[in-house]
Amino acid sequence: MTLFTLAVGNLRAKKARSAGIAFAVALAVMTVVTLSVVSSGLEQAAAAVLTIGKADFTVAQKGVSDIIYSSLDDRQVAAVQESPGVESAVGVLVETERIDAANPLFIEIGIQPGDLSAFGVSVIAGRAYGADAADEVMLGWQAARDLGLHVGDRFRANGTTNTVVGIYSTGISYGDLGAMFPLPAIQAYNRVPGSVTLVFVKVASGYSVVKVQAALESAHPELTTIRTASEFGRADRNIVFLRAAVTGSTILALLIGAIIVGNTMLLSLFERTREFGLLRAIGWSRGRVVTLVVSESLLLAVLGSSLGVALSYLVTFALESLPQLHGVLHASFSEGALLRGLVVGMGMAVLGSLYPAIRAASLTPVKALSHE
Amino acid sequence: MNEPPAHPTPMIETHDVVKVYADGKVRALDGVDLTVGPGEFVAVTGPSGCGKSTLLGLLAALDTPDSGTIRVGSHDLVRLQDSDRFRRQAVGLVFQLHNLLPRLTVLENVEIAMMGSDRPRGDRAGHAARLLEGVGLGAMADRRPPQLSGGERQRVAVARALANDPPLLLADEPTGSLDSRSVATVLALFEGLRADRGVTVVLVTHDGDVAAAADRIIPMLDGRVVGA
Ligand SMILES: Nc1ncnc2c1ncn2[C@@H]1O[C@H](COP(=O)(O)OP(=O)(O)OP(=O)(O)O)[C@@H](O)[C@H]1O
Ligand SMILES: [Mg+2]
Repeated sequence: MTLFTLAVGNLRAKKARSAGIAFAVALAVMTVVTLSVVSSGLEQAAAAVLTIGKADFTVAQKGVSDIIYSSLDDRQVAAVQESPGVESAVGVLVETERIDAANPLFIEIGIQPGDLSAFGVSVIAGRAYGADAADEVMLGWQAARDLGLHVGDRFRANGTTNTVVGIYSTGISYGDLGAMFPLPAIQAYNRVPGSVTLVFVKVASGYSVVKVQAALESAHPELTTIRTASEFGRADRNIVFLRAAVTGSTILALLIGAIIVGNTMLLSLFERTREFGLLRAIGWSRGRVVTLVVSESLLLAVLGSSLGVALSYLVTFALESLPQLHGVLHASFSEGALLRGLVVGMGMAVLGSLYPAIRAASLTPVKALSHE
Repeated sequence: MNEPPAHPTPMIETHDVVKVYADGKVRALDGVDLTVGPGEFVAVTGPSGCGKSTLLGLLAALDTPDSGTIRVGSHDLVRLQDSDRFRRQAVGLVFQLHNLLPRLTVLENVEIAMMGSDRPRGDRAGHAARLLEGVGLGAMADRRPPQLSGGERQRVAVARALANDPPLLLADEPTGSLDSRSVATVLALFEGLRADRGVTVVLVTHDGDVAAAADRIIPMLDGRVVGA
């Protein structure tokens, strides 16, 4: 018999109560993991736009609520291009449009045909559109496949009916799921002549990416440079709010869960006062009693956390298949999200059981033994 | 009061022990002087409320006195650093009721007293089984306390009290709820312990027949040991 088998036995002896605590943990973990995977899915989708350009870093307007609302004019694009160490700077306009129910956030990119190769785009069928064509479009190969369209077909988007003149590949599925238009056409449709959303920069060989970034930012305080998805918050305040909301909810779930666990544990330990008195009387130390109680609670937390993660999979699956959220919500189960869930589960257990455990152990054995 | 037995170092020696409860309103012990030699089997008797359980609790380091001195073996209980260790190693305890954990098997009830002891983990179950053999319950190791008679339960409690080979056994009304046949079995067990292992036994009882089995009777009244 070990402390572990003793703890397991104690839990099994009170099945209903153990199940109650495990379920409370499961609900909290489910909430935290679901929030976390949904938000990181949103974040990844939002940051995916950065990955298409195959650039060393991306330049955006600082402090906009959504990166899609970033706006840089011709003069700023030129300034980026002339910044020391910049080999190429490609200005693109990015927007999303509802094409149909299956594609509520179809990605549309406006880019000069001359910039396509610097942007990492290769035309795999047909040809590139003309620089000033008003009704020509290229489709990413995955989008073409999903929409069942071929070169020569018609594609309604960006306010007009366009002819599909080419199929392209970027090698990045987020880019290959969208369409590309001549820059002036998409600027005209969005009534932002001369503006782009982002500038994708390649750094000349021999220059340090970080130094080029720093020089650009200090010369242009109204701009920000983004190299990784985690730096994305610099240009996208929505992401910052989203992260804060997830952190806040995590802490809240942790506290509410700990209170539920603590409350149940207190009641149960009160009933076990005599048991602890007996253990202390036969030579158990306070520390051993606390360890027993906290282990029981941790075991329930492991059980509850596993259940919570399983529930979270079910819930996100259900959410993703809701018609209103289909195509918008991309849950992204990461180790981070699971870790967060585990930390919440274990944290609840330790926080919730520590006080009851110390209380149980702190009674003198005589007091505990005379407890009715 | 009896002359202390002529042993060089007594197993128990208390001097002027006072224990008050309820902010001084109850003087449960009012100056107890007591000496018990090693290997003695004594019975503490007296009317209900005279302080027998309180005294036993102090001897077991379950509680501390308000004044006076208590020595058990080489330990000064007033200045005891590690009372858990003392309870684990220096004394074995048997209570009147609710001695065992009903969820655990008889074997586990004995084994649980060895958790935290110096005995290697692998030896504990075997030692518990031998102790149960010793109290005549070898065949009942896998039962749970509710499936035992009152006398059998008290014998399990005795086996547990001996788990860490203490030199002193303290038993509070161990026969209080037993029929006369079970009483005889438990008393024979105490006798045997003293004879075979030299264990000192202090037995609290209000039953004169039980007390008569001891070497010496220590009568108490109103929180004091009175001359017999
Ligand atoms: N925790 C306590 N708080 C207040 N008074 C107590 C407490 N424990 C014991 N007493 C009082 O101290 C006195 C001695 O109690 P104790 O339990 O030692 O008596 P006892 O001799 O063991 O009695 P019994 O034969 O009925 O078991 C009693 O008057 C009792 O009411
Ligand atoms: Mg008593």
